[in-house]
Amino acid sequence: MAQFVQALALGVLIGGIYALMASGLTLIFGVLRIVNIAQGAFLILVATFTWWLWRATGLDPILASVITAPLMFGLGWVLYRFVISRIRGQAASMSVLLTFGLALVIEGVLNIVTGNRFRSATPAYFEESFRLGDILLPKAQVYGFLAAVAVLGGLYLVLTRTWTGRAIRATSQNPSAAALVGIGATATAALAFALGSASAGVGGSILSVLYPFFPASHYDWISRLLGIVVLGGMGSLPGALCGALILGLAETLTATYGSLQWSTLVFYLVIMVVLLVRPQGLFGARLREDAA
Amino acid sequence: MIEKSVSRRSVLAASLAATLSIGLAACGSRPSEKAASDTDKPLVIGISLPLTGDFSQPGTEAKRGYEVWADQINKAGGLLGRQVQLKIVDDASNQDTVVSDYTKLITQDKVDLLLGTFSSLLNYAASAVAEKNQMVFVEPAGGAPNMFTRGFKYLFFAQPATAPHQADVFVDWIKSLPEDQKPKTAAYPTQDDPFAAPVIESMQKQLEALGVQTVYQSTYPADTTNFQAVAQQMAAKKPDLIAQGAVFEDGVGLVRSLKQLQYSPKIMFQTSAPSNAGQYSSGVGVGSTEGVFYTVSWHQDAKTPKNAEFVTDYKAKFENADPAEDAADAYAAAEVLAAGVTAVGAVDQAKIADWLHANEVTTILGPLSWEATGEPKGKFLLGQWQSGKAQVVAPAEAATTQNVVNPKPDWK
Repeated sequence: MAQFVQALALGVLIGGIYALMASGLTLIFGVLRIVNIAQGAFLILVATFTWWLWRATGLDPILASVITAPLMFGLGWVLYRFVISRIRGQAASMSVLLTFGLALVIEGVLNIVTGNRFRSATPAYFEESFRLGDILLPKAQVYGFLAAVAVLGGLYLVLTRTWTGRAIRATSQNPSAAALVGIGATATAALAFALGSASAGVGGSILSVLYPFFPASHYDWISRLLGIVVLGGMGSLPGALCGALILGLAETLTATYGSLQWSTLVFYLVIMVVLLVRPQGLFGARLREDAA
Repeated sequence: MIEKSVSRRSVLAASLAATLSIGLAACGSRPSEKAASDTDKPLVIGISLPLTGDFSQPGTEAKRGYEVWADQINKAGGLLGRQVQLKIVDDASNQDTVVSDYTKLITQDKVDLLLGTFSSLLNYAASAVAEKNQMVFVEPAGGAPNMFTRGFKYLFFAQPATAPHQADVFVDWIKSLPEDQKPKTAAYPTQDDPFAAPVIESMQKQLEALGVQTVYQSTYPADTTNFQAVAQQMAAKKPDLIAQGAVFEDGVGLVRSLKQLQYSPKIMFQTSAPSNAGQYSSGVGVGSTEGVFYTVSWHQDAKTPKNAEFVTDYKAKFENADPAEDAADAYAAAEVLAAGVTAVGAVDQAKIADWLHANEVTTILGPLSWEATGEPKGKFLLGQWQSGKAQVVAPAEAATTQNVVNPKPDWK
């Protein structure tokens, strides 16, 4: 029983962090219909920057997201205005090519500037745990989870309680109707891309403490994030949360009661079954063009 | 206007290409003139290496290893009284290019000797070209088991052992322990990797034969990042020994998870992760490296013949950089070839191969000798982290310290 609770706790903790990382990807897709393949590279870029900041100043890596999130917000906004906006209205394959190119550029620059080696931030608590009876909760995971929940909660409030947030959701639901009631398409799109990038700012800072990473690690992360977002429904924030929890639990429970070898497979099996029953994902809205 | 500039550009390109190809043809024809083995002429060794592409990092290290060896032997009067000249070409980590490279080196450039390239993938194809042309092929890397199932006579692998025998030296150390210190139970997690899994599988078999009970075994895919569940399961079984087939980040990940779940085994072994000195200790924390075992083909401070000279000359030549294991392996491959040539006293490929099959060669990796298939018969070095430094603890003749940390202290 203790083993089951322990596995469950670890699965939920890691799921919450996956959810934060995936939230940017799903937000950007929802508003822009762009699959941002560079989201994984954003995470690694931020993780590297956080590591450097931690080494140079001793600033706690998870707290560093207070700096990295605004920086990534700015970078996302600039990238959208000067790069991504140029392919608006073109085929979806163009956005995949463009953002994949962006990921390669980030990987290449990191390789040249920081060198092709593994890094990980190791603040004093990185290997300590909270003990609740027989259950051990790693501190880094708990702090990362709390940061993720705070950011996801904030994001939810922004999207549901503010005019800007409603504008983003409106554009995501029906771009033409949103434009008709006076929502600026470009400004909203830039904002969504910037918010999505900012979430990678927090996610990357958390990643720097939890896992060793190197410039090419972004491939592993983007494939995991795409899996989560497809399972939850492209563009749906609750979907990303749900998909991420399923991945976290599938990984931990399969590894505990079966073998780690099967954990990835189990997750993709879940995706396949869900897509057979609900092609739009768990929370995805069915578009008119899908039905045709 | 646009059309005009395009056509001008293409004319330029065509003429450039023509000039280049004439130049290349001229280059290609020159070395073939020296067929006679005149003692004044340098002895040319043909090598193709992955200097660009996927394997460019180890490929470049191998090139450096070969160059340090050539400089040393030339300073000492050369090989058979002739100066040695390396003819190194780039195969861009491509299996097709490496075949055409070695074919060209043998048939057009008519090089006197060959040395191997890097990785099993490239050496598998390249060694077949050498075998067909009956030329000795000493490879610095390429320990995949199927390299040695082809019955080749001219192939020699210049590392102490292939993957399934890499952990033998660790098993020997366990055997040497007094009965009450031997581990009773063991856990074997390993990455699904051709150079990690066979090491652990073979170790598990050997230790089971010694009566060590297996309480946990699992293979995980290369992209696994989440090791807490594995650590949790092992912690519940409390094995005396944890032996992990760890490439790198999985090794760091498991140690961290074990620390978080507060389980420290009496003996900890990881295949290659701990050999990445600085990156490993910063990943797990220097305090937690204490007592961790690993195996490696070469160590910078190993007391093997000529090792100190190799390290000194390498640092002098390459801006004080520390040599990588890949450079040392290449240097050893050249030592093996040179030993064969010197012993035979002539560039006679068949005789060199026969001599290498029959004799043991001293290298910076320790003594090397081979089965008929070219598979090495030696053992790796057993390394252990002690006080924040990687040491060699076995075999005795290569050890950098007499001290062995056992049992491993708690994680710090």
